Amino acid sequence: MRLASSAITIAVLGLGFAAIAQQDSPAGGQPPASPSPTPNAAPAPSGNQPQVDESALRYFASQGDTRRVNAEIARLRALYPNWTPPSDLSQLSAGTVTIDPIVERLWNLYKEDRIAEVRAAIAERQSSDPNWKPPEELVTALDTVEARRRLTNASDSGQWRTVLSVATENPNLLTCVNVDVLWRVAEAFAKTEQPNRTRDVYTYLLTNCANPGERLATLQKALSLLPDNQVADLLQFERKTGDEPDNFDSIREELARRRVERAANDDKMTASAEDLATVERLTRNSDEPGPVLVLAWYNYHHGNPARALELFKTALDRNGGNKAAEGYAMSLRALERLAEAEVFAYDWRDKAPENMKIYLDVATALLAQDPPPRLETRIVSRIVPVVTSQRFPDGAQALGWFSYNTSQFQTARDWFRQALSWRADDEPSAYGLALSTQRLNDRAAFNAIVAQWRDRSERIADLAAGTTPRAAQQRVAPPQPMAPLEPGPQESMRSVPVRAGTPRAFVEHTTTAVEQGFTTATAGPRASGSRNCLMTRNPDGLAPNAALALGWCLMEANRPMEAASAFDQAIRRGSARTREEAAYGKSLAYLRKNLTSEAAVAAAQAPQTGPRRVELSASILGQRALAAYRDGRYVEAILALSERARIVPEQTDLMLIRGWSYFKLGRYNDAEKVFRAVQRTGYSDEASVGLNAVLEARYPVRQ
Amino acid sequence: MRIFAKRRSALLPCLLAGLLALASSVSPSWSLTVQTLNVVGTLSPAEWDAYRTRFIEDDGRIADNANGNISHSEGQGYGLLLALAANDRVTFEKIWTFTFTELLIRDDGLAAWKWDPSAKPRVTDRNNATDGDILLAYALAKAGAAWKEPRYAAAAQKLAKAIGKNTFGRDGGSVFLLPGAEGFNEGERPDGPVVNLSYWIFEAFPVLAGLAPEYEWNRVWREGVNLLQQTTSGRIRLPADWISIQRRMQTKPADGFPPEFGYNSLRIPLYLLRAGMTDLEWLRALKQRWSAENEGVAVVNVVTGQVRERLNDQGYAILAAGLACALDGTPVPAALKAFEPQLYYPSTLYLMTKSWLGEKYPQCV
Repeated sequence: MRLASSAITIAVLGLGFAAIAQQDSPAGGQPPASPSPTPNAAPAPSGNQPQVDESALRYFASQGDTRRVNAEIARLRALYPNWTPPSDLSQLSAGTVTIDPIVERLWNLYKEDRIAEVRAAIAERQSSDPNWKPPEELVTALDTVEARRRLTNASDSGQWRTVLSVATENPNLLTCVNVDVLWRVAEAFAKTEQPNRTRDVYTYLLTNCANPGERLATLQKALSLLPDNQVADLLQFERKTGDEPDNFDSIREELARRRVERAANDDKMTASAEDLATVERLTRNSDEPGPVLVLAWYNYHHGNPARALELFKTALDRNGGNKAAEGYAMSLRALERLAEAEVFAYDWRDKAPENMKIYLDVATALLAQDPPPRLETRIVSRIVPVVTSQRFPDGAQALGWFSYNTSQFQTARDWFRQALSWRADDEPSAYGLALSTQRLNDRAAFNAIVAQWRDRSERIADLAAGTTPRAAQQRVAPPQPMAPLEPGPQESMRSVPVRAGTPRAFVEHTTTAVEQGFTTATAGPRASGSRNCLMTRNPDGLAPNAALALGWCLMEANRPMEAASAFDQAIRRGSARTREEAAYGKSLAYLRKNLTSEAAVAAAQAPQTGPRRVELSASILGQRALAAYRDGRYVEAILALSERARIVPEQTDLMLIRGWSYFKLGRYNDAEKVFRAVQRTGYSDEASVGLNAVLEARYPVRQ
Repeated sequence: MRIFAKRRSALLPCLLAGLLALASSVSPSWSLTVQTLNVVGTLSPAEWDAYRTRFIEDDGRIADNANGNISHSEGQGYGLLLALAANDRVTFEKIWTFTFTELLIRDDGLAAWKWDPSAKPRVTDRNNATDGDILLAYALAKAGAAWKEPRYAAAAQKLAKAIGKNTFGRDGGSVFLLPGAEGFNEGERPDGPVVNLSYWIFEAFPVLAGLAPEYEWNRVWREGVNLLQQTTSGRIRLPADWISIQRRMQTKPADGFPPEFGYNSLRIPLYLLRAGMTDLEWLRALKQRWSAENEGVAVVNVVTGQVRERLNDQGYAILAAGLACALDGTPVPAALKAFEPQLYYPSTLYLMTKSWLGEKYPQCV
């Protein structure tokens, strides 16, 4: 194979040289770059004239058969519009040649493309006259036609190695007369992982072949077989002058459309204004939905759902089908126009899996709004069978919350159970089930769910501890927009093993304090944003403000990891202000999970205002110190504390950590100094423990 | 006379067959040789003309008129062989031109098996059928030698090498013929390897072995005989068209095919007889089954023995007549002597039988 393909490359290049030589020779241009001669035995045509098989024509001329000559000229003209008949035909007829009727018959058959019959007739003649030989030109012509047929058939059946070997054995096929053959050879190279050779064939063709239609078609072929950058390289062969100049604009437009398309689904890639303008123009110049969809997705994924919505509408009007419908519903959802989105997506849900997915997504979001929206029974009751038939756990969960929030506790319980049967590890559904059974006073079911989930879900464990029903009611009860501003029940009731001097208690405390501070400061977005975060929601596709609100809501529900990803979405899409806020939230989320370095990274994702920066840095350094202390890295703990002390005054509990760090390092004087300072602030018990430890360490003999 | 003597000596193995079914496949009681056929000039011009004008188009394509006028590599192979038998070089050249340009396009050098005049592209299944390839290579080789045409000889050799390279399967110690280069071997289907015993055109093996001696033609040939003996040793004594040999000692009808002795397998006796392998005891049993007093040539379920379809075309009937002639010297009945081609397949079998009888048993026809 390797052999065959290198041979064909030589053939192609050889032809290339031949053609270049032909073009240059009238002007006396430079000789070919290599002495490689053309492997093509056929006489070289002049200029760009295609190589036309004139053998039959010459034969008829030699026979003086003007009628057939004229018919053949007409036939060849129809086949090759650029061809002009040779001028020496009349000379041929001058000589008297013995007429061999069989040869004439053979040429006639050949002309009619009855190749098998030509072969048969040759065989027939040879069986009666073993010494008879057909004319050499006829044999060559037959071989060539057969080779072209085999090459074409092999190419139609994807037998690429046959294509290449036939081409290699028949280099005279590889000329501008047989552009179709050249295309097929180029494709065979592409399909056998030799794209550079594909490019060579196209380059040969664009350099040597004149027909503008075929030249444009060559680039269209290239678009489907070569990487875009190689196609762009081929544009250099565009002929801007001459009788029939090229116009490759459509190729440029397609390349631009592809660039926008690639950026359309990747919010990290942006398309150039020029490319966007090209695609805009394409949308105006045709009724096709394709370019409109590209532009629509681009807008959708680049923070402009409103424009995306318009474009998806246009695409729908142009029969853009399922993809257009999917985008339209997604844009409505991103714009929080959930009721409309549901109505629209419902009609398309059965068209494709993607349409079903967005319908379920929209329906779930619609139900999960908090406070519960006023929904027509018609809407809810048509969501139900879809959720059921698709076995969609998030939908069941949403129906659960919707029922719960509208005080239909039995229905809620059933839906949460259904959700769990479809996704056994769905904690929010388990929580919903626990709440519902509690409201229904179904002790047995409540206990069962608690027993199952106590170890996996703190909030369910808290419910069982008995103090939260009231709080839980508050959290999910409908009309209380300014609901709980005090720290959530999870914080206050969390059972953390607290030992004197252990850092953990402190951390929980400060983090909560930080958030409390925030709560009062930015109650606006938090209270106005929907608090519908009881259930699992994928923040992707949410509008930035919605994602931000979801993040805070999740923080309030003490689900910091989910909150972090909601904040992430807001950081990706949001305005500078939203990004700042989201980065802040994300830092807090990580701090809550003791992921100090992630918190630091998040804090750096958007510039923060002064007070917030101080607040975050202080928290991060505090946690870093505690983490270091926990791991026995006391030097680092002290370093972090010192850094923190430079920006905020050191709190008592952190001073204790500093003291214990000195103690662990054997720096008893420093430790004593710190513990005494703490003692003066009034925390005498903790300080005394430290001071005693220092004393004992210094004078162990006294013990 | 020779036939008569053989018949007597075959009595004993016949009695023992039930007991020694497996043993016989290991040490057959008959000679393992192929008698070569001359082929050339064994068909009457009248019969050949009837066939040619009915089934062969001007472009050299043999049309299967029972299957939507499609063509296949098998048909082209039979066509070449029959053209040679009729010493019709002109038609041979036509058929070859079509085959070469339209079917011999596969990367591996084998022929695409299915060509449909109403489809685009015309090759609607680019897979090969190994019997088609063997028929083509064999006919080309015979023609190349008979007419001293190096183009045929070269094409025959290329094909023979491609067959040896791509269609010989191997499983443990046995080497066998795959019905196609892809899709039948172990791992390519759950019950693979799967074979078709009617793809062993026994007479072709020594010829192709001469063209591509680097492949194990003789072992494949022998394996065909062994498999035939094994699959005809059961109660019904008929092989299914398609056989899974995944468990070599316990072959079974392949999944997805009817468990039938059908249109494929009914060629097996013809191929055995053409190769001169008349000693095979199974042929006697089959002759019995095919006789006019019994069920005749039919499609039979190899598990139940039930007849699904009796085949009455003279092309099938002459298979039984040829068998009776070769084993008992019974002349072909007068009713079968006039060729009345209707459908491609039985008409082809008719001429394949007639050509062989004309060469080896002229007294029967």
